[in-house]
Amino acid sequence: MKKHLLLLLILPLILIACHPNPDDLFNPTPYELPSPLFFPHKNNIPADNPMTEEGVELGKLLFFDDTTRHCEERQRRSNPSCCASCHHPEHSFEGGPEATLENLGTEHTMLPLINLVWNTTGLGWRSNVKTLEDMVYAAYTDPSEINADTTEVVRQLQQSATYPKLFRKAFGTDKINFVLVEKAIAQYVRSLVFADSKFDRYLRGEEQLNQDELNGYRLFITEKGADCFHCHGGGSNALFTTNLRYNNGLDAEDHGTFKAPTLRNIALTAPYMHDGRFSTLDEVIDFYSDSVQYSVFISPLMHHVNQGGTRLTPEEKQQLKAFLNTLTQE
Amino acid sequence: MYHCNRIIKKMKNRLVLSILAIAMMSTSCTKPMNGNAEIRVGYTANGQPLMLDSLCYTNEAGNRFMVNEIQWFISKVALISEKGDEYSLGKVFYFDTNLPETQIIATSSIPCQKYTSMRFTFGLDQEDNVTGLFPDPPENNMFWPDHLGGGYHYMKLNGWYLNPNDSLIPMNIHLGIGQNEDQSVFYQNYFTVELPLDLNLEEGATNVIHLNMNIDNWFRNPHTYDINVLGGAIMQNQEAQQILKENGHDVFEVSTDESQTLRIARAIQDICRKASPKPHFFSLKKS
Repeated sequence: MKKHLLLLLILPLILIACHPNPDDLFNPTPYELPSPLFFPHKNNIPADNPMTEEGVELGKLLFFDDTTRHCEERQRRSNPSCCASCHHPEHSFEGGPEATLENLGTEHTMLPLINLVWNTTGLGWRSNVKTLEDMVYAAYTDPSEINADTTEVVRQLQQSATYPKLFRKAFGTDKINFVLVEKAIAQYVRSLVFADSKFDRYLRGEEQLNQDELNGYRLFITEKGADCFHCHGGGSNALFTTNLRYNNGLDAEDHGTFKAPTLRNIALTAPYMHDGRFSTLDEVIDFYSDSVQYSVFISPLMHHVNQGGTRLTPEEKQQLKAFLNTLTQE
Repeated sequence: MYHCNRIIKKMKNRLVLSILAIAMMSTSCTKPMNGNAEIRVGYTANGQPLMLDSLCYTNEAGNRFMVNEIQWFISKVALISEKGDEYSLGKVFYFDTNLPETQIIATSSIPCQKYTSMRFTFGLDQEDNVTGLFPDPPENNMFWPDHLGGGYHYMKLNGWYLNPNDSLIPMNIHLGIGQNEDQSVFYQNYFTVELPLDLNLEEGATNVIHLNMNIDNWFRNPHTYDINVLGGAIMQNQEAQQILKENGHDVFEVSTDESQTLRIARAIQDICRKASPKPHFFSLKKS
């Protein structure tokens, strides 16, 4: 009888002791990706990296974390210390006006990191990075970017007081490896959905565009106008890019093709073009209007090339710019 | 008495079994057999297999031109049997010379019988051509602006032509909904094509239907289409759209027997596909 009583007293204690800390449980919450009007349904979420609230949260922490020790040596060598060192939210996760090729030391300027979850044709100006996970690895290891030793990154994250627990919550293990770092940051980048500009509210019938903005949209969307839509979408392609590559006639000797970047938040993402040669939207519009160069490599969609461009009037240029400014999400 | 009952019961069981067997046999005898079919797309110009990116073609008006890419829709595709029965192959098909996987369309569970014609709509009719129908690329990249009538391009045929000064000018034969000057009136430019076919659809065999687009015929019969006159960019040019719509009646041909021309076209397309540089993806060298 005594033995039984003892057992009854000890059993709850054993159960309590065996019950894991709720913080250590692996029970991730699926992340609900929004479905904005006229956005694609097909996304690039890999089967082995489904988005979860915990994964996105961890990715965000890693994206912005410039305090972890693995960055210190990089800072001394003038390399960026984390993703957010260069990709600033206020510039649509691009580098801002100072992010010129000269300052970056990279082959190309940055592209905005928004709405990439719906990019299914490769990443980067040449579309030659297949997945966001690969892009994270490239950014960490490229000598002109973070230039980190991934083994060292993992070692220091593992030693942190907080990260192992967060990796357990996101991925079910507190044994960190760099693949999990890639996955977490990729999840965060996939969560960067921008679909609430003035133009979106106009499409949803919540806000009206003024006459200049409407005229600018008509120019954007017509072949006889500025003819932007064949490469940059619009209408029922609300990403404002086809995510395909074109030669847009920047230089007569330029043989390359580059991804048409999204025009969402375009007012925030100077400098423009793959080499950052234009520092204002006015310069970009002037180029497409008056300075397109013919080469045998130029896309036939640049059908105003024989006149040097679309030949917009000064008023039309201002209207087009007014429309482009409606694509900014404050 | 007991013995009689057993015999009657046995006979009843046999009768039920026989009825069931006959019913099953009759069902299997009347069940129509189904087969599969593939639509394989090809392109010809100047009586030759189309070579993309080659300035080697001349149209009826004497314009020299090249084609870089063709993206197009057909819809409401149906096979029509010799008895007049129609079998729908699918609502909308998209073809894109940049995407080899779109150039062959597999269909299944088609009743085995003799089909004597194939009918489809070039482009999309008013019922199907609705803005937002295709949320995803590549079809979504065919959208036609709402200001110009909405929906989707029926076709983008992109390339270049030589003008009288021997300058290369972009040629964008983009067909879709037309409009008047102030975009207050819209014109439907899709059209229906019905082509004779000799297809005896067999079970267990790969029944191939070759669908060829003859590029030359866009530019002739009944109208000679002079690109120098009508221009290379025609989304806002209903006169050009109307001419192409009327010329479109004999642009297509279907056959179950791949012609010599088509065979060469396919062989060359395969060679070009193999020779064209594949996308070079960032190579991971993870330690």
